[in-house]
Amino acid sequence: MPRIRFNGITKSFGDHQVIKAFSADVPDNEFLVLLGPSGCGKSTMLRMIAGLTDITTGQLEFDGTVVNGTEPKERDIAFVFQSYALYPHLTVRANIAFPLLMSRFKPYHHLPVVNTLMRRRVLRDPEVDAQVRRVAEMMELTDYLDRRPRTLSGGQRQRVAVGRALIREPSVYLLDEPLSNLDAMLRSQMRAEITALHQRVGKSFVYVTHDQVEAMTMGTRIIVLNEGVIQQYGTPKEIYDRPANAFVARFIGSPPMNLIRCRLEGRSLRFPDGGTLQLPEGCPSPDSLERDVVLGVRAERISVAPSDAVASETLPAHIVLSEYLGAETVVAFKSGRRADQAEQGTVAEHDVLQARIPGELHLTPGADCTVRLDLTNASFFDIDSGERLPVAVPEATT
Amino acid sequence: MTDVGTETRTAARAVDPTPRANRGRRLAPYLFIAAAVVYLLLLTGAPLLDGLWLSLTDTQLLNPTAGTFIGTHNYSSLFSDAGFAHTLVVTIVYSTATVLGALSVGTVAAVAMNGAFRGRVFARAILTFPWAVPSVAAVLVFSWIYNKDSGVLNHTLGSVGLAEHGWLVDPTWSLFAVTLASVWKVFPFVMLVVLAALQSVPEELYEAARVDGADAFNRFRTVALPFLLPALRVTALLMTIWSFRRFEIIWLLTQGGPVGSTNTLVISVYREAFVNSDLGRSAAMGVVGLLLSTIVTVIFFYVDRAAARKEAL
Amino acid sequence: MTLGKKLSSVVRGFGIAVLVAVAGFPVYWLFTTATHTTAELFGGQVQWLPDLGQFFTSFTSAASGVPMLRWLSNSAVVAFGTTFLSLTIAILAAYALSRYRFRGKGVFGFALFATQMLPEALLVVPLYSIFLTFGLLDNLTGLVLSDTAFAMPVAVWILKSAMDGVSLEIEESARVDGCPRYAMLTQIMLPLIAPSIAAAAVITFFEGWNEYLFANTFITDEQKWPASKGLASFIGEFVTPLNHVMAAALMFTLPAIIFFLFVQRRIVSGLTAGSVKG
Repeated sequence: MPRIRFNGITKSFGDHQVIKAFSADVPDNEFLVLLGPSGCGKSTMLRMIAGLTDITTGQLEFDGTVVNGTEPKERDIAFVFQSYALYPHLTVRANIAFPLLMSRFKPYHHLPVVNTLMRRRVLRDPEVDAQVRRVAEMMELTDYLDRRPRTLSGGQRQRVAVGRALIREPSVYLLDEPLSNLDAMLRSQMRAEITALHQRVGKSFVYVTHDQVEAMTMGTRIIVLNEGVIQQYGTPKEIYDRPANAFVARFIGSPPMNLIRCRLEGRSLRFPDGGTLQLPEGCPSPDSLERDVVLGVRAERISVAPSDAVASETLPAHIVLSEYLGAETVVAFKSGRRADQAEQGTVAEHDVLQARIPGELHLTPGADCTVRLDLTNASFFDIDSGERLPVAVPEATT
Repeated sequence: MTDVGTETRTAARAVDPTPRANRGRRLAPYLFIAAAVVYLLLLTGAPLLDGLWLSLTDTQLLNPTAGTFIGTHNYSSLFSDAGFAHTLVVTIVYSTATVLGALSVGTVAAVAMNGAFRGRVFARAILTFPWAVPSVAAVLVFSWIYNKDSGVLNHTLGSVGLAEHGWLVDPTWSLFAVTLASVWKVFPFVMLVVLAALQSVPEELYEAARVDGADAFNRFRTVALPFLLPALRVTALLMTIWSFRRFEIIWLLTQGGPVGSTNTLVISVYREAFVNSDLGRSAAMGVVGLLLSTIVTVIFFYVDRAAARKEAL
Repeated sequence: MTLGKKLSSVVRGFGIAVLVAVAGFPVYWLFTTATHTTAELFGGQVQWLPDLGQFFTSFTSAASGVPMLRWLSNSAVVAFGTTFLSLTIAILAAYALSRYRFRGKGVFGFALFATQMLPEALLVVPLYSIFLTFGLLDNLTGLVLSDTAFAMPVAVWILKSAMDGVSLEIEESARVDGCPRYAMLTQIMLPLIAPSIAAAAVITFFEGWNEYLFANTFITDEQKWPASKGLASFIGEFVTPLNHVMAAALMFTLPAIIFFLFVQRRIVSGLTAGSVKG
């Protein structure tokens, strides 16, 4: 069970650098998720781990051994492709057993007749057969062993692909967006199955996805990537509660973290439209007397009240959109009163903020309201770089 | 490109004139194909029937309208003719050799051309030349290359100490020379078809095989070959039928000689009509050739169907 | 790169070099031979490289010694005629095959394919009689007619598969917009398959350009000889200097090579669509 180590890895295609100076240390038995938007380099990263793509500079180590030049089959890995990559002309049985077929392959097996005979013989071998059956049972494919991939559904094909990976009993499992071709319901079912598999198998998984829900639910550690640069490496909780920059803050969490520009003055926050809030006692804040910052507050830390009256420690706002989801309502709002602002009603704008309110809340778009922000555990980001600002609990003034 | 298969199916379910549609709509497809049908009937069907009729007569070239009906006499005389048997043998040998040669060279070329390398566009362009070059021009160059005394082939062989031959005049080598020229002419077509098939193979399949531990040969056999086989089968059929028809290269290089060593069926058909003046017999030979093509096509059709079913695709 | 990888790419490079040399050599040889004098060619030494100094003189004397211009223009007439006639018929037929279901569709499609099996040699005599009756012998139009018989089915094949690739929705939306059926072909379909039409045009053009057997049999008037017949007449005759023959052959070949380069991809996909499974 190797400990995977990335040491200054970069990747360039010609002059175009797609992955920049990537370093990380991944302990055993982790479920590492490489998370990021399309084109961020996560699949390239995975393929470098597999040995399907060459590493430009830097070292990749499995358990302390540099594996940069090693062929995939020597690395003791298994790879599940996004498109499953099943051999269309082989049966499910032969697909799953294929790695075993290859490990038993001798040079003279290249001869035409010998080849077919040998393949049949290997498939009938009791040991091979037992392994295939075991994997098929685990993947609930026993009834499909003699079918061709073409006749299987997406979910079944995916399980065959996973089965093919399992049979080799590798030290590392690499999965490239395996769920993105499945429908929503199947996806959540397979998420649970893959997590269970990870527990059962007890080996390291490296999993690529653009879906932050998958990352948060399945991963034990997440690497967030954007444009070839690691944004953050941490556990799901670390990434959620203390995002390293504005990108991670907006990428993780649904709805995304609200980022609000304001001015920090000592322990007060002054908002562009004039509202002011005080940071509660004991709440950490950046160590600065006066600076512009970006305040980050999660949607579930905001409460909305349909009142016109301005109470203390609240901000005036007006409703843009209200979505009732059953267990909660997601309210999109903008700060300031309705008065003279042109409405667009989309939630995509950055100065539209979102709150999650438990239960049902009747609010009409356009109505004025007041908003209370719970600033404990709020994040602060630099207004130019987007980087997280270090915070400290101010000394108690007695 | 691979979508065309499914599109064909959906397109076929297209405009189906309902009973209440006006007569114009119903007639439309027939109007569209009218020109083609007339053409086929007049310029292909009629001559074909005429040819069939001719094969049952003793018409001579010098008096084409004065033939008398002699029933199947032409055919029976063919089947007792050792020369005709020899012609059939030559035809089959030539076809098999040309088709196998073109398929192998073409496939090897396609495999080599699959995958990027510098100068690939240039190489691909040059590899299309043989297909583009008109047969007559090809014949002119090849007969010069094959020239016994001054041709470059013999010069090169001689300079490295190998035997020189009269490629087009020596009965032992003439069929080989003609086959070589034919394979040269025809392999680019195979290459292009196989290359297209190879390029339709998803890259991930190769990678999966690599991860599973398959070496290069195994990757080709497990991943690429299943995609190639349907294309190869169609190409083999086309190559075979075309080899039965191929006239210019053989006629202009050797006229079927020397001593009938390159005398394929089409050459015989032509010679019988325009040299021996026996139109009836020539037509009979032509009909035999047509039968041969039909048999090959039918065999192919069944083999292809069986294979496609076996591939469960 | 590992040693194995390096070795296999060297082998591959070598293989490609051999294939390119073999494929290109005859055309190179046409050119090279055309630039030397007969004395040089038959003098006992192989002339490997073209003599560029003699290039112009070779070709201009070839052009004057051999009625190449007249032959080529005859070939062009036949080729253009074949293209025009074949495409007109083929476009209509392909549209029917692609977009309609009708009785006899299968038979018709099969008949088209079956023409590929017919040897020209079988048809040449009956066609000769037919042309004789209608005064089409010694007539470039007759040649166009006979060449079209063989070119048209191939064009239908290519065009039909191109049309199959055009989604039905486009035509349905045109219909909703009030476009009459016959206009759909010209206004919508044809512009969308323009590249395949180009490919079919090239194929039919060169059926007419390259064709020898019918040209040889039906045309006797020397003024009307197409280049295929003209060039073939040099075989076995030793009066015309070899370099002139080669130069003429090169002139005959060049248009074909140039056009084929542009369209070979389309031709292949048109001919094999459906059989190449993805």
